[in-house]
Amino acid sequence: MVDVNQHNLVPEHTVLDDPERVEEVLEEYNVNKTNLPKIKKNDPALRETDAEPGDVVEIVRNSRTAERAVVYRLVVE
Amino acid sequence: MTEYEHVNEDVEAVVEDTELPRRLKDRVYGTIEERGGVTVEQADEIAKAVEARYLDTRVDPLDPVGTVSAQSIGEPGTQMTMNTFHYAGVAEIDVTQGLPRLIELVDARKTPDTPMMTVYLEDEAQNEEGVPYATDRERAHEVVWAIESTKILALGDVSTNVADMLVRVDLNEETLMERWPRADSVDEVATEIAETIEDALGVTTRRSGTVIEFGPEQPSYRELLQLVERLREIVFKGIEDVTRVVIRKEKTGDEEEEFVLYTEGSAFGDVLAIDGVDATRTTCNNIHEIYRNLGVEAAREAIIEETMETLEEQGLDDVNIRHLMLVADIMTNRGTIESIGRHGISGSKESVLARAAFEVTVNHLLDAAIHGEEDDLNGVIENVIVGKPVAIGTGDVNLKMGSFSADGGAAGRPSDD
Repeated sequence: MVDVNQHNLVPEHTVLDDPERVEEVLEEYNVNKTNLPKIKKNDPALRETDAEPGDVVEIVRNSRTAERAVVYRLVVE
Repeated sequence: MTEYEHVNEDVEAVVEDTELPRRLKDRVYGTIEERGGVTVEQADEIAKAVEARYLDTRVDPLDPVGTVSAQSIGEPGTQMTMNTFHYAGVAEIDVTQGLPRLIELVDARKTPDTPMMTVYLEDEAQNEEGVPYATDRERAHEVVWAIESTKILALGDVSTNVADMLVRVDLNEETLMERWPRADSVDEVATEIAETIEDALGVTTRRSGTVIEFGPEQPSYRELLQLVERLREIVFKGIEDVTRVVIRKEKTGDEEEEFVLYTEGSAFGDVLAIDGVDATRTTCNNIHEIYRNLGVEAAREAIIEETMETLEEQGLDDVNIRHLMLVADIMTNRGTIESIGRHGISGSKESVLARAAFEVTVNHLLDAAIHGEEDDLNGVIENVIVGKPVAIGTGDVNLKMGSFSADGGAAGRPSDD
């Protein structure tokens, strides 16, 4: 199986382990967890991680309009 | 700063002091460098002007970005050709372009009209001979034969002998050695082909040299013809969905060149696993295949990339990329790819009236009535329908007017007249 995270189209995904970090993120955007965009638990980009539904994934995109864009997705079934 | 000759510390200080993102700062440095340096005052003026323009591009709170995006993509869309086939780089491969392609993308069709892949090859020496696939013609061709589906007609002649009830396959020796470059002898390949035929058709074959003969168990003219029909469909090598591969030499730098493969038909997952294929750069134009193999974030990137390319191809490159990013964000918001339209985003809106206003009005109203749905009137469309101010722009700001006294006297109070 090829490592999809090596592909140019796939940005870096990291699961936020620290619940406090998640709180910070939600506070910053003033949203509930469920308002975040979603990502499926079986998404190929999460294959190497042990993300469970309810986790929040931090994605660092190489943005076209800024340097880096940090976005968050909620893991769902 | 070491990389720019004409940018001194003072200039750098004023530019770094702005709110610009890294890329714009670098472009400012680049331009200053080109002009052969500027004074600190000039640099300050430039930095301020660029910053002002940059801040102008920021979206105001309550801006209806969706509507603006829809118009910004829709208007250029009216100038697009109704149908064009041909690919800028590879004249031999036809690719749907223009409006049909744009519609196909936002509709998130399961398979595009003309699926294709761009296969890049490993540029580091990965094989045992130490020759990189990307720069060696023979190595590149090896990958071509591993991808392109090879059927019997490409390998030799097929004839039927009605008198003996036999199908005769006369394989071409040169083609065999070309397509199986790793094989030791023609015999080995011919045996492999004979075995493939036996497995696929359930017949016993006789082989002598490059000639393979077989026939139906019971003499039957119809069966004989059917065997030939089925024989033509067997894929002996490569990927079934890929009907053609075009190989091209492309410049990568000033001096360097590499081989890039363009395919008609796509099987993204299979191709990534083939030896010699660079699994970090290879792409395809089917966003669903990208989604399945690389995930939702990659699909989002691919949607932006593909829509932008489609517009650029038609000379509509002044559509701001932020509009396309918004479209891609919405399409991938729920972790899968959703189309824009009745079966996707618009069809899954919360508001009954918004859905009814889009398409199949009666069905939505009827269903909503049966299920006793309520409408909270939060969106734009439903508020337009009922004649209330929409919750965007100034419509979402409450202006409270009233009197107050500044000094406790009558001066602050409006007069009764």
